[in-house]
Amino acid sequence: MNSPARKLNLGAIGKPVHWRFPLTGIMAWSAFAFLLLPSLIIIPISFGNKNQIVFPPTAFHWDLYYLFFTTSTWIAATTQSAKVALLSTAIALTLGTLAAYGIERSRLRGKQLLLVVLLSPLLIPGVVTALGLYSYFAVIGLSGSTTALVMGHTVFLCPFVIVTVSAGIKELDGSIETAASVMGAGRFKIFTAVVLPQLRPSLVSAGLFSFLMSFDELVISWFISGAQTTTLPVKMYSSVQTETSPILAAISTMLTILSVIICLGAEGARNLRKKAVAADS
Amino acid sequence: MSLGFIVPLGFIFFRSFTIDGVFTLEGFRSLLTSPLFVRVFWTTLEISLIASIVALAVGYPVALHISRQSERVRSLYLIMVLLPFWTSILVKSYAFTVILGDAGLINTALRALRLPQFEMIFNRFGVLAASTNFLVPFAVFPILANLLAQDPNLGKAAEVMGAGPLRIFWRITFPLSGSGVLAGFILTFVLSLGLFATPALLGGRHDMMMANLIDFYTRDTLNWNAASAIAVILLFTSAVLLLLLNRVRGTEKFA
Repeated sequence: MNSPARKLNLGAIGKPVHWRFPLTGIMAWSAFAFLLLPSLIIIPISFGNKNQIVFPPTAFHWDLYYLFFTTSTWIAATTQSAKVALLSTAIALTLGTLAAYGIERSRLRGKQLLLVVLLSPLLIPGVVTALGLYSYFAVIGLSGSTTALVMGHTVFLCPFVIVTVSAGIKELDGSIETAASVMGAGRFKIFTAVVLPQLRPSLVSAGLFSFLMSFDELVISWFISGAQTTTLPVKMYSSVQTETSPILAAISTMLTILSVIICLGAEGARNLRKKAVAADS
Repeated sequence: MSLGFIVPLGFIFFRSFTIDGVFTLEGFRSLLTSPLFVRVFWTTLEISLIASIVALAVGYPVALHISRQSERVRSLYLIMVLLPFWTSILVKSYAFTVILGDAGLINTALRALRLPQFEMIFNRFGVLAASTNFLVPFAVFPILANLLAQDPNLGKAAEVMGAGPLRIFWRITFPLSGSGVLAGFILTFVLSLGLFATPALLGGRHDMMMANLIDFYTRDTLNWNAASAIAVILLFTSAVLLLLLNRVRGTEKFA
């Protein structure tokens, strides 16, 4: 039983662990290809032939983008999505930040339960929320209105804002607030002058991702939007099967670019926080 | 503020137990005896089960690979998981219709090579491919969190004692990652129960899932009672699974 494998491998002591098998790398890279390629393949198609999908494209032009920007229904849907996303992000950011601060800094008895209720829409199937909002808005006579869309999206975004901002609040040094309070600052003053400025990186990333989530949201909008208030995802969804022109390739490319920009923006905000922490210590 | 969410949910419960304001269990009774619902229910479970298992199998090597990188490289790899995570599900579903369709990229290539072509869209395969693609990032995160929380000294100890990389993986890393895999499974399974756009765009008539059936009852037959009853069943199933997830998270502290 003195095979070399049984011997103590003393050379491994002190070395960082670096047992890697090439197989893991190959599998991981295949998975990355599976994850990324579908969205990437759409990009060359969006610059390609106008009337049908040809791959690889035989020509390069901006026709599909031109078509998108000159079709009023597409522009109207995009404007509507932007409007709903901006409004619901603004409301959700305000309510969510207040709720997060309230929960983090209070010793409420039902805190845990409150948190579960507040966060549940994050994991409950979107269609359940959508149906609930749909029948609710139908009863109060708001169905199909932009107000209903904004309210629905706010409900959908709030839990996400609460989670993101709570994480930011947990990193704050509570003694700074205590110090401000000792020096005579009121609760409102502490919140606006001490807490909010420190939370800026979390607020930026919560805001950016909320905007993206609302802009891309399909299920709730599909249930509660009307003919006059169609959002971009709803219009995309209904035209995937009917549209013969590959205009959706151009729209998809633009949406992918929007996601990239927002991810980079949030990454920038995260680095900002790191720098701030480094500068503090 | 939580009222904004609770009130609509209350409406669903109210509607699922009432027809024209009268209390009744008729909605649930007729659902459970409806062949359409029973079929859709099993389809949903089947698709969710297969898609989440495949997503875990695809996501595990990704998490393993990322966990073994230095911190700098790790954040670069993470971007490659986060980017698809933040890509609109409509974009991804559309991409799959373009790739898998009858006149899609794969079939066109096969035709050019004079090979037999496959029907990969409007059937179970299309739904599973696109759902798995959607779920993989959700499988990666809990597994990665678990792998990063593992004590690296265990691996070192095993290496010192002469264990090869494969042995270290099978005897130490993999068994220890069990709770991460379980958390990933519950998460992806719950998410796939609620899939809406993917089965609608890539599936055929026999791949309808519960969310699509709710949509069908709400829009096409205006049967709000049935739609709400399905939503209650869906909600209940998800809630039970999420409580389980909470259990798993409680025993192992990560994420």
